[in-house]
Amino acid sequence: MPTASDPVLVLDGLRKTFGTFTAVHGISLTVPRGSVYGFLGPNGAGTTTTIRMVLSIYKPTAGSVTILGQPSALLVRERIGYLPEEKGLYKKMRARDIIAYFASLKGMASAAAFRRADELLEKYGLGEFARRKCEALSKGMGQKVQVLASIAHRPEFVILDEPFSGLDPVNQQVLEDLIEDLKREGTTIIFSTHIMEHAERLCDRLVLIARGRAVFDGTVAEARRIIPRRIVIRTPGDPQRLRGIAGVTGLSALGGDRHEIILADDGDADAVLAACFRDGIPLLAFDRSEPTLRDVFLRLVGPDQAAEAVG
Amino acid sequence: MRNAWLIACREFAENVHTKGFWLGVAMAPLLLVLGFSVQRLLDRSTPTRAFVVVDPGHVYDAAIDGAVERLWQREVMKAFGEYFGKHAVRTKAPTAADLEDTPAVDVEKMIEQFSDTNPQALEAFVNAGGLAVAMAKINGLVKPDAPPFTPPRRPFVRVELPEGIAAGAGPTAVADQLRPWLRGERKVDADGQEIELFAAVIVPEDIADHVSRPGSAPRMPSSAESVQYWAANLADTDLRVEVERAINEQQRKTEYVEKGVDAAAVQAVQRTSVPVVKLDPRKASGREQVSLADQLRQWAPVGFVYLLWTSIFAVASLLLNNTIEEKSNRLVEVLLSSVTPGELMAGKLLGIAAVGLTMILSWIAALVGVLWWQAGPQAEQARSLLDVVTRSGLLPAFVGYFVLGYLLYGSLFLALGSVCNTLKEAQNMMQPVMLVMIVPLLTMMFIPKDPNGTLARVMSWIPIYTPFVMMNRAAAGPPQWEIVGTTVLLIAAVGFTLWLAGRIFATGILRTGQPPRLVELVRWLIHGAG
Repeated sequence: MPTASDPVLVLDGLRKTFGTFTAVHGISLTVPRGSVYGFLGPNGAGTTTTIRMVLSIYKPTAGSVTILGQPSALLVRERIGYLPEEKGLYKKMRARDIIAYFASLKGMASAAAFRRADELLEKYGLGEFARRKCEALSKGMGQKVQVLASIAHRPEFVILDEPFSGLDPVNQQVLEDLIEDLKREGTTIIFSTHIMEHAERLCDRLVLIARGRAVFDGTVAEARRIIPRRIVIRTPGDPQRLRGIAGVTGLSALGGDRHEIILADDGDADAVLAACFRDGIPLLAFDRSEPTLRDVFLRLVGPDQAAEAVG
Repeated sequence: MRNAWLIACREFAENVHTKGFWLGVAMAPLLLVLGFSVQRLLDRSTPTRAFVVVDPGHVYDAAIDGAVERLWQREVMKAFGEYFGKHAVRTKAPTAADLEDTPAVDVEKMIEQFSDTNPQALEAFVNAGGLAVAMAKINGLVKPDAPPFTPPRRPFVRVELPEGIAAGAGPTAVADQLRPWLRGERKVDADGQEIELFAAVIVPEDIADHVSRPGSAPRMPSSAESVQYWAANLADTDLRVEVERAINEQQRKTEYVEKGVDAAAVQAVQRTSVPVVKLDPRKASGREQVSLADQLRQWAPVGFVYLLWTSIFAVASLLLNNTIEEKSNRLVEVLLSSVTPGELMAGKLLGIAAVGLTMILSWIAALVGVLWWQAGPQAEQARSLLDVVTRSGLLPAFVGYFVLGYLLYGSLFLALGSVCNTLKEAQNMMQPVMLVMIVPLLTMMFIPKDPNGTLARVMSWIPIYTPFVMMNRAAAGPPQWEIVGTTVLLIAAVGFTLWLAGRIFATGILRTGQPPRLVELVRWLIHGAG
């Protein structure tokens, strides 16, 4: 019997080569039950390939996948929900039919599947489109239908590949709510994205993938800690005196009137601010916001790939 | 298995909900009804055609008039026969005593004669007083609510030369003057109606000098030395054939008379005919006579081969198309996160098979239905065809060969669809397949002429052709061991193809990028998915 503490997914040295090209260079990670786990990386970094190996769509060249305690996703199909990177629906099928169809392929009884389809469409604002053919739906609506189709059978583990791409901000919010709802119900979720903001808001843990390698694996807080704490100030005066404050480990000019102050872990930003007032350093701006995942990503993968990812 | 069933249901529902499917279903009976009505429609819609005869020497014009009249009388006779067949009051089967001279039997006999194609029947009809007498004879024998008989229109009517053209001006001059009429630029007057001049027959005055006889030097006569038949419509040959026959008959009659033979004797001799009967040695002794049904039985398989070919490829193409659709929009990834490739393939094959069977069964139902509706006592063709279709065992063979042929080609098409990403790629790969596939259509017309010949026998043993060729040969009763042998081979080939396609499908269905080369395909077959 699986227990609550068993991880939902364990990847061990997962590797995939296509001919001479290595798409994934040995990724190992563990997804705890009930967590929301982000796969972050620019296009072509290997996230989709990794997800396809997790689902046994691709056979790994080396390494192993343990999913819900089994060596292959094919053995636990009914317990997994999957949204592929490229989105498509049967054009001639109606929205509720398609959701019910995929749910019944996952083992749901037909009547229950239809009930569930109607319930989901209603809940996520598509009630009036339930009997519309998919070809008549907008791209965003179609994508929502597909997300609903992937979760209709109440899987305990949901894998969403780029669920946010192609959605407008309103629908992105609906999808974030949906992920929150699933999380509340105890579902384990993996989603890949190249938009850091979603990951920042939703993920408990994340893995940053660049050129087929996991460059970071941990919590969002841990990710932030990769970048030292810093304050950016704008001043027409001379900030050099701030070097003497306890907890300040560095000071550098960023160009113009902008300067970056690096803090030690126990450094106190308030002390820096007080010192500015005390020493009469005129402030135009004092920015102590935490580093974003985008900054972390930039730091880890270098500006070339990061530009692709966050662009 | 549940998943394959679910997939099959979806495929069936999706395809049955398309307009194309219903069009396909409705097409067959529609074409059939059209086929039966088109003849009548054509007869009814072809206008009476006007022609002129320029025969200043009056050598042949009477003969031509007689021929055209006979052409019409034959139509009248046929129509009358059909009319009586449709509207006669059916009495109980005549007993031997009745057979002597009750009016009903008399008319039956008369009608029977009408349907005969030998010239005597027509002669008898005309000599007996034609339609007027025939109508009088059936008086009281047709149902009271029957509509009155309307004789068909005359197919051809001879009109006078347009005014201002002198018949004696010589063939070339007359033809030149007639050109505007023959080209349809000017109209002629026929019974007060302005119609186009369909044809002109111009007889040179000295035609008697140019008749070719045994002993005269063979040479191509110039058109000035021939009877000229002018017509812009080259397709409708009825009039030309009739005119040619009439003038030759007339010429021969004249020559007999010139040689001193009695004209009446000649006429009598010309009306004689020797009966030739077609017999089939395979039929039971005493019943060897070849009927219309026998001939239909010989040719009906050709129709079935065509139907088989069309339906197998129409249906197998559905498989190709929707596999590519699922592949190109990556639906297949979602599907394969729920079902195995084997289940997916089985489901698709099954679902589309159901679509195909629904289609052909509705065709068969329509065929039998239309034939049954058409098959009156006079519509011998429809009746015989119905007999052939329902009694000859062609139908079960057809359904059996459809299923096996579909599985063979369907699984090949599925495999093909699974390795292509777009319809365009698939079309490129289909070209060589098409070349191979077209062969049974090309041989379809030859095989019935030599159904147990070398070509037919060799092709029967090639599994991709077995369904079509064996269907083609069905009427000729191929040897039992060949039927069993080719069927066993075909079933084995279907099994092998399913296995082969399954392996290609499992690997190909998730592949993106260039379609694989043949070498890669072979590697997949040996090593499985990579």
